[in-house]
Amino acid sequence: MKKLLAVLLVAMMMLSAFAFAEGKTEITLWTYPIGNWVNDEVVQEIIANFNKVHPEISVKVQYLDYQSGDDQVTTAIEAGTTPDIIMEGPERLVVNWGAAGKMVDLSDLWTDEAKADIGATSAALERACKGADGMYYEYPLCMTTHCMSINYNDFEKADALKYINEETRTWTTEDFENALRALTEAGFMPTGIVYCGGQGGDQGTRALVKNLYGAQFTDEAHTKYTIGSEEGKKGLQKLYDLVQEGVLTADPGIVAGDEIPLFCNGTTSMSFCWNASAEVSNKSTMAEDVKSFPMAFPSDDGVPELDGGIWGFGIFNNGDEAKIAAAKDFIRFVCDDKEQAPKSVYATGFFPARASVGDIYTGTEKEANAEFAIFMPYLGDYYQVTKNWAAQRTEWWNLLQRVFASGNIEAEVEVYSNNANK
Amino acid sequence: MQKTIDISRQQRAIRRRENISGYIFMAPSLLFFAGFVIFPMLMCLVTSFFNYSMTDFSFIGLSNYNELVADPIFGKALVNTVVLVLVSVPFTCFFSLWVGSVIYNLNEKVTSFFRCVFYLPVVTGSVAVTVVWKWIFNSYYGLLNFVFKNLGIINQNVNWLGNTATALWCIIVILLTTSIGQPIVLYVSALANVDHSIVEAAEVDGATDLQVFWRIKWPQIMPTTLYILVITTINSFQCFALIQLLTSGGPNNSTQTIMYYIYYNAFKLNRYGYGSAMGIVLAVIIAVFSAVQFKIAKTDNG
Repeated sequence: MKKLLAVLLVAMMMLSAFAFAEGKTEITLWTYPIGNWVNDEVVQEIIANFNKVHPEISVKVQYLDYQSGDDQVTTAIEAGTTPDIIMEGPERLVVNWGAAGKMVDLSDLWTDEAKADIGATSAALERACKGADGMYYEYPLCMTTHCMSINYNDFEKADALKYINEETRTWTTEDFENALRALTEAGFMPTGIVYCGGQGGDQGTRALVKNLYGAQFTDEAHTKYTIGSEEGKKGLQKLYDLVQEGVLTADPGIVAGDEIPLFCNGTTSMSFCWNASAEVSNKSTMAEDVKSFPMAFPSDDGVPELDGGIWGFGIFNNGDEAKIAAAKDFIRFVCDDKEQAPKSVYATGFFPARASVGDIYTGTEKEANAEFAIFMPYLGDYYQVTKNWAAQRTEWWNLLQRVFASGNIEAEVEVYSNNANK
Repeated sequence: MQKTIDISRQQRAIRRRENISGYIFMAPSLLFFAGFVIFPMLMCLVTSFFNYSMTDFSFIGLSNYNELVADPIFGKALVNTVVLVLVSVPFTCFFSLWVGSVIYNLNEKVTSFFRCVFYLPVVTGSVAVTVVWKWIFNSYYGLLNFVFKNLGIINQNVNWLGNTATALWCIIVILLTTSIGQPIVLYVSALANVDHSIVEAAEVDGATDLQVFWRIKWPQIMPTTLYILVITTINSFQCFALIQLLTSGGPNNSTQTIMYYIYYNAFKLNRYGYGSAMGIVLAVIIAVFSAVQFKIAKTDNG
């Protein structure tokens, strides 16, 4: 009896394995923590929806974090164990792995209809997803503009609300300075912290420096880093002066991940690393007297140029055509399906890359995200696709550390420019 | 005569069988050692002569080593690493020996308690330890600033990890707390194993406590000391997790270590060849330090 049972069990296992091998294509998906795309319940629901349409494809998911995710991918590339699909932004998918020839060209996903729909959101999206060789290494799902946030209550108490335009969420460099002084006089110290302990959240400090006097971070063709321009140096000088004056703090010991909690618990009156997703994810940790009020970065003319974030999917070239085709089916479903696309974007907390998806937040739990749409007109150039990006990021926070330590803007910027443009 | 030849053959056969058995028993460990230690080391040596990145694998001879010599950050990392080793290794050894000497002949339960206390940071994950220390050193609400301000040692908060003058010393302090656990346990065992009859004989002959320690106990625990010296040196040279989790080598490269710089070049810039060259240099430095320690310890013992 026991033998019969064992034989039956083995037969069943072999049959199921055979059936699996015959009928199902198994693909793997690695995602960085983009909103709720790190929440297994949410992602499994998306996969379940996909399996209703494509039962022949099985999707296994693995979650990465920004601390060790790049190392895991690099190791996988060298070991030949990369996933089929990866979810992140063009600075990794296009500039890093795409340029290294590790990714599949996704031109067939970029149909004329898709180009028109995505282009209606921003022309920067298509440019960012295309490599220097003309191939598309990313298909975008969502985007956002990075901004900063102030504690409305602190500003009110310090009588500094007069320095911000509450309607357009903009302010000038002069307003910013005055607000810092007002906050300091009212006893709100530290007002804000220019973090530079590492690359985490460096989009905030980049946007701060370049907006103060309208500098461009790279040239238009994305061939070199240009913060060494007069406007860039002026911005750095201004920050250094404000730190010396004692109305702003520079901290080479922390990164954005440390600065955000300081804002949320009321230690500081502003955070330089904010966006729609941060607003939602930090809601539960906000102290009672903290009222987050997202703002654009201050600029000399009051018209900011904000940095964008783009997230989407790329496919690693593992040489298996069946898996590549299955991966494309998954991406099409998640990004293009009329019913699924809004849900996929909603999970990120950002805004749809496709204009046709429209407003997905009004009347939902994440209604607060809708207010971030106000920043979309200020979306600037997506320069994160410039060559040598990974090395530049380290050079950037090292530049800030050196600037705040020595105050020798000219010399330190020269070191930065030489190293970043190597 | 014939009988002698037969015995000799039998002995050889037995020895051969024993050798074969020995090698079979060793095979799994040898394969593991060859696959995961020897082979990667050789690969590291080979790739150090190549411009090895995600897109390139071309022979460049000694160029990586030439670049190392001219790289100011590598120089700074080397100095920081040596400072880390020179401070942490002697301190770890002396402190462990002192604690071991004090607790080894206490009541068994008390000794076990202290062993647990000092070993706790070793078994606790480095990430958890680092998170706690990050909170202690936090410049806005950290425990250290709070205590020092209340004691009147400082007037205003100090940015311990963000200051070039203090950052490396903070790393050294954390490194010490995670390094002393194992040496203390080893010293407690070594001191307990010292031959008491010799100690008693020396005491009967009128030797002082200091003489008993230096003349009787110290030579007997010398193998343990040598082991602790070598292991602590290697661990200090390979200090990485603390740097990655706390400072990323900053501020201004003041906590940059060779291990972190290897990681940065290999995993952030994908310069595997250059990283390998640094790995080889680090291995040579560790080998030299260890050889010197062996030499000194042998002389003292001898």
